[in-house]
Amino acid sequence: MARMKFLCDADRCIECNACTTACKNENEVPWGINRRRVITLNDGKPGERSVSMACMHCTDAPCQAVCPVNAFYTTADAVVLHSKDICIGCGYCFYACPFGAPQYPRVGNFGTRGKMDKCTFCAGGPEPNNTPAQYEKYGADRLAEGKLPLCAEMCSTKALLAGDGDVIAQIYKERVVKRGYGSGAWGWKTAYRETITS
Amino acid sequence: MLIKRTERQARRGNLAAFANQSDRGLGRRAFLRRSGLAAGGLAALGALPLATMRKAEAGPPPATGAAVAMRKSICTHCAVGCTVMAEVANGVWIGQEPGWDSPINRGSHCAKGAAVRELVSGERRLKYPLKLVGGQWTRISWDQAINEIGDKLMDIRKQSGPDSVYWLGSAKMTNEGAYMFSKMGALWGTNNTDHQARICHSTTVTGVANTWGYGAMTNSFNDIRNSKTQIIMGGNPAEAHPVSLQHLLEGAELNKANVVVIDPRMTRTAAHATEYVRLRPGTDIPVLYGMMWHILQNGWEDKEFIAQRVYGFDDVSKEIAKWTPEEVERVSGVPGEQLKRVAQMFATQKPATLIWCMGQTQHTVGTANVRASCIALLLTGNVGKAGAGANIFRGHDNVQGATDVGLDVVTLPFYYGLAEGAWRHYSRVWEIDYDDLLAQFESKEFMEKPGIPLTRWFDAVLLPKDKVAQKDNVQAMFVQGHASNSIVRIPESLNGMQKLELLVVVDPHPTTWAALAVDAGRKDGMYLLPACTQFEASGSRVASNRSMQWGEQVVKPIFESKNDLEIMYLLTKKLGFADKMFKNIKVADGTPVPEDVLREMNRASWSTGYCGQSPERIKTHMANQKDFDLVTMRAKSGPAKGDYYGLPWPCWGSPAVKHPGTPLLYNTYLNVMDGGGTFRARFGVEKDGVNLLAEGSYSLGSEIKDGYPEFTMAVLKKLGWEKDLTAAEMAVIQKVAGTPEKIDTVSWSLDLSGGIQRVALKHGCVPYGNAKARMNAFGLPDPIPQHREPIYTARVDLVGKYPTLPDAIQFRVPNIGFSTQKAAVDKGIAKQFPLILSTGRLVEYEGGGEETRSNKWLAELQQDMFIEISPADAGDRGIKDGGWVWVTGAENGSKAKMKALVTERVGKGVAWMPLHFGGWFGGQDLRSKYPQGADPIVLGESANTITTYGYDPATGMHEGKATLCQITAA
Amino acid sequence: MTTLLARLRNVVGALMLIAAAMSWQPAAAQQPSSVDPNASAVSEEQLLQQMHTIRGLGSIPDVKSYTLEQPQGQEWRHYHEVTLRWIGAIVILGVLALLVVYYVTHGKMRIEGGRSGRKILRFTAYERSVHWMMAACFVILGLSGLNITFGRALLLPLMSPEAYTALSEWAKYAHNFLSFPFTVGLVLMFFMWAVQNLPAKKVDIEWLKRGGGMFGKKGDHPPAGKFNAGEKILFWSICLAGGAIAVSGYLLIFPFYGTDVHNMQWAEVVHSIFAVCFIAAMLAHIYLGTIGMEGAFESMGEGTVDVNWAKEHHSLWLEEERSRTAPSSPSPRQRPATSGD
Repeated sequence: MARMKFLCDADRCIECNACTTACKNENEVPWGINRRRVITLNDGKPGERSVSMACMHCTDAPCQAVCPVNAFYTTADAVVLHSKDICIGCGYCFYACPFGAPQYPRVGNFGTRGKMDKCTFCAGGPEPNNTPAQYEKYGADRLAEGKLPLCAEMCSTKALLAGDGDVIAQIYKERVVKRGYGSGAWGWKTAYRETITS
Repeated sequence: MLIKRTERQARRGNLAAFANQSDRGLGRRAFLRRSGLAAGGLAALGALPLATMRKAEAGPPPATGAAVAMRKSICTHCAVGCTVMAEVANGVWIGQEPGWDSPINRGSHCAKGAAVRELVSGERRLKYPLKLVGGQWTRISWDQAINEIGDKLMDIRKQSGPDSVYWLGSAKMTNEGAYMFSKMGALWGTNNTDHQARICHSTTVTGVANTWGYGAMTNSFNDIRNSKTQIIMGGNPAEAHPVSLQHLLEGAELNKANVVVIDPRMTRTAAHATEYVRLRPGTDIPVLYGMMWHILQNGWEDKEFIAQRVYGFDDVSKEIAKWTPEEVERVSGVPGEQLKRVAQMFATQKPATLIWCMGQTQHTVGTANVRASCIALLLTGNVGKAGAGANIFRGHDNVQGATDVGLDVVTLPFYYGLAEGAWRHYSRVWEIDYDDLLAQFESKEFMEKPGIPLTRWFDAVLLPKDKVAQKDNVQAMFVQGHASNSIVRIPESLNGMQKLELLVVVDPHPTTWAALAVDAGRKDGMYLLPACTQFEASGSRVASNRSMQWGEQVVKPIFESKNDLEIMYLLTKKLGFADKMFKNIKVADGTPVPEDVLREMNRASWSTGYCGQSPERIKTHMANQKDFDLVTMRAKSGPAKGDYYGLPWPCWGSPAVKHPGTPLLYNTYLNVMDGGGTFRARFGVEKDGVNLLAEGSYSLGSEIKDGYPEFTMAVLKKLGWEKDLTAAEMAVIQKVAGTPEKIDTVSWSLDLSGGIQRVALKHGCVPYGNAKARMNAFGLPDPIPQHREPIYTARVDLVGKYPTLPDAIQFRVPNIGFSTQKAAVDKGIAKQFPLILSTGRLVEYEGGGEETRSNKWLAELQQDMFIEISPADAGDRGIKDGGWVWVTGAENGSKAKMKALVTERVGKGVAWMPLHFGGWFGGQDLRSKYPQGADPIVLGESANTITTYGYDPATGMHEGKATLCQITAA
Repeated sequence: MTTLLARLRNVVGALMLIAAAMSWQPAAAQQPSSVDPNASAVSEEQLLQQMHTIRGLGSIPDVKSYTLEQPQGQEWRHYHEVTLRWIGAIVILGVLALLVVYYVTHGKMRIEGGRSGRKILRFTAYERSVHWMMAACFVILGLSGLNITFGRALLLPLMSPEAYTALSEWAKYAHNFLSFPFTVGLVLMFFMWAVQNLPAKKVDIEWLKRGGGMFGKKGDHPPAGKFNAGEKILFWSICLAGGAIAVSGYLLIFPFYGTDVHNMQWAEVVHSIFAVCFIAAMLAHIYLGTIGMEGAFESMGEGTVDVNWAKEHHSLWLEEERSRTAPSSPSPRQRPATSGD
């Protein structure tokens, strides 16, 4: 069974934000919620690198661990999803998430955050696949159609890779070997407890 | 349902106006609603959505049982030309999928391309025709609008002559739209037709064409995968052409290539470079000559190439010798050692390519800049082969096409120019009597005289009548698809907007024309007509690499918007020449058929090689994209086997010849029928006794193994090849000639049969000749590129040695650059305004920005206008990162309020603003001046509020990349 | 070989970055003469080592999103799932166990002299209202708070996920809203009783030495003021814990008002640690105030206490009260037959 992962090759990422808007497009994500974002380190200086970040679908996900109502579940593909019906908007998943993936539609007013929203690896949620109900709550279910997340499919420079962890690790390794450098598979150690050594 | 989210630590502002609910001053009911408590109990709480759901709309996913169709179009944003795959169900665009097959983008997009579905949602689109009545936007019908506009245009024509109407077309039109718009201007009787290329690459087109034949990208994005050295000088493709970086970066990785970025800013492109060179804005020529100085010093030039294919080397060498490393560093700030390193890479680690965009073009020396770049390429033999070339990254999605089809004040379609011969050619093509065409113009003089560039439109309105070299001032602007805030000197343009008799804006959005005109005090005489986007129409567009692609109609035009061709049809029907204009073009359901227009273009365009790009061939390419190779762009199998993707022009001969297109220009390594070529013989056969034709260099398989002039009947006869012409072809040639004595003058570009081209190709020759490229472009204002300081320069000590060109009348209006520069020095402007101001692009927005800032997915990513300022300069002024500042400019007491971005990206003494904002002026928000519901989500000050006078003498290009400003904390 | 090169590149890059950063003084000239941006690229390992949280720059207004990686989230998760559970279980169950043991071994503390029948006012209506407001809030706050930590393990298995969600959601609202009256009560309580809870060194130390009469010699009733040392300790603990819980709690229900995610994590740590200790302390307090001691409950229930109870447990306070009121002794009353002096 494939173990789904994301990998952003920061040496290719040019902060074009295609991933950000592709996600918005495909999942009709409202204003104010940013499932995916691009962060630039050392902005404006030599050494500047950009990384596209969303839920990493961690192994032994901390969000899943701390959720007081057990709203998370991990699919057979190792995609970490959650149920908006079960979520009580307490915000703990955000404190636990090393990557800041959980997003809330509201802030303040006694922490009534609304239902948590996050990247679903374009795999929808607990509702039946590709139904309007699933779409309205979670967005697209591309995995059920045999496709991969649109953010990675539309990345302008093929910096963002998504799919079976072994396959994308291999792609990245080959890339690093061919070009002779690589600033690392960002987030892999924290999310999957592994690094890619070429 | 769009929920606004407040962020109390907002780094930049939030858009209170965009929220569905306001976050301040909540009443109790709102408070409870916001906090998620219902009036009732547990059950109600369980049922509360708490923002899980969005409003049900006609949108994704498709309704159960609905069939989902895939439509293929091209992104309407930049000139990379990414394929957009649209999923359509029940006439609604419900999703985008990657277009994996396209060799250009392979499924990728940038933020804008990934968000195009939103463009047809209509949320902030212009939905109905609007008329300005008493300062209020009033809805009217199309019929009323066309009638009133037509009547008014005819009135103005009667009073002030045809040249008093300015037809401003667009790079966002399809080829068919742009071609017909150009034709419309010609049939109306004026050469005052222009489009965005003026402010973008007009200097490129003129400068490069005057060097070696055509002013277009010589290679392609994909071809850069072959480069060993990429120099990006005056461009930021990471933000302006993101998907091109797929080829640049991957190519650089595979080839271990040098990537050198020469830019005043450490851009996002520079972040991926192997060498970054910082230079003072406006000093490209010294830097290029500086490189060439090292090249000549070390004997790195390509002597054989120069001997065979270059004219004017000696003249240029003299100029190069002046630019010693010391002088280069003094003027530009670039250290000699660094430039030597770059020069060595460029000259010896080949193939090397030079990539540029606005950084080189938007200067008073823009033409000279690009010519210096071309000279550098010629010097090192880096033209006409894979991995080399002048890779000119054009701007809008169809600016290349619109330029080619002649939406330009200096020419008829396809660069024929405005001489009588050109007009006669079109009279034949359009099947309209030459005298009928002439009768529409003010006079023969004005028929053959270049018009006024769009950069000067308001000067043509406001200057005293005797200063404008035509019958009267410009009285009316008909703007179809062009922003007003991308044109310099906005404060003065406001006066122009006020004074016009008639202002018509045809666009999917109201644009800043609407807001600024109302703010300027206009009360009436203005119309907004809703045009649809190119996703709601079909047609061809040409990407920067000269490939033509066909875009299918994805959805029907929304609300009452109409496509460009239909609008022109309605208007010209009213004006009385629709029958002439659409003579050979079928009109189905009120819309002209774009395929017919393309066929007419095929018949017209022998000069540029759009003749072989028939609709059928192009559509075959679109249907079989996967057959095309990623690097060579050639189809190895399938229905399009042997063709290059998109049949990059020149695609010689009629479609029957099946020329495969020319992906690399001037490439002598290939046979002309395989896409090979030579430098164009455009400038004569000899000059002052020096041979202008190539010597010993010719394309593969050419039967003439030396240089040769362009092909005319005379040349064919000399070679004995006229016998190869068929009888039918001869008949047409005779018709073109008119009289038997004139037969010899019929050339490869005038022969409507395509026979001359076919015969030339048959013998392995290039129809336009085989000449040397000109390092010395005699006839241009500066035949050898000269460094000239910007009009508003911080280095007043250099103005004496490097002044701008003297004042002169250019394009019917005075260019007082010299006087302005001198006055600036005398008045000590550089002391009051010590920061050099440059401008540029952001990846999230495009052009004037009204369309992309109305796209909610893009607008969220850049919510505030800003100016980049170095930490040193910010510290001196007490400016904090994210704080409000006033930017003041050197002219008109201009001022603009925006946020400051304190960053090391810009060096000390340099500031930078993005070009895409509009809707504020002088610190005032103009949102209320837009028609209701059609204001963009994000508004901000326009960079061009601060920009200043300065025009390239060859093209009228403005100086957007180097002026002066001052910044103070607000 | 490539690994070595890659590592070498990283080291060189890091050094160059540092060198470049150091050479970039605001007043200096344009730039160093050789700039290879690719070579100086930052790497994740390097940044994590330097800063342990990786922060950059984004373009959306949400500043929180600029934090790329905060591995501290994993540490907090471990605290919340493991450490806190252990602490909470040990502290609360431990105290419960101790109370059970004490009750079994020592039984209910009786009024040795028996009830006198005479009453004296101990707590005014105001004091009682404040106390009960706090108490009621506390119970719900405590239970709803425990639900966050233990509910999933203990309650969720007993019901459907939807029902548990509904319960937890209501618990959350109750917790957030009742925090206000609780805090108000806390403040009022402080001003109400702070002076009377100031340590009176000699008396308090003596009281403590003698185990407060709960441990040690049977029948021992060390003198005490209005509040004995034990109560004083409890009072100041409540102020401290309640204060800490309130402050951290408000940070939690107004998240990211000037705080970042690390501050929020710390707020939760403080809140939860103090809360479980507070609950444990309250268990003891409730025990004493109800089944643990005869005559205690009415002090807060009715406001008056039996004089004998007062003599045994708060003798100094009784004297003070008596000397305050008129020197005349109260009218002679029948003493219950069973009492003895």
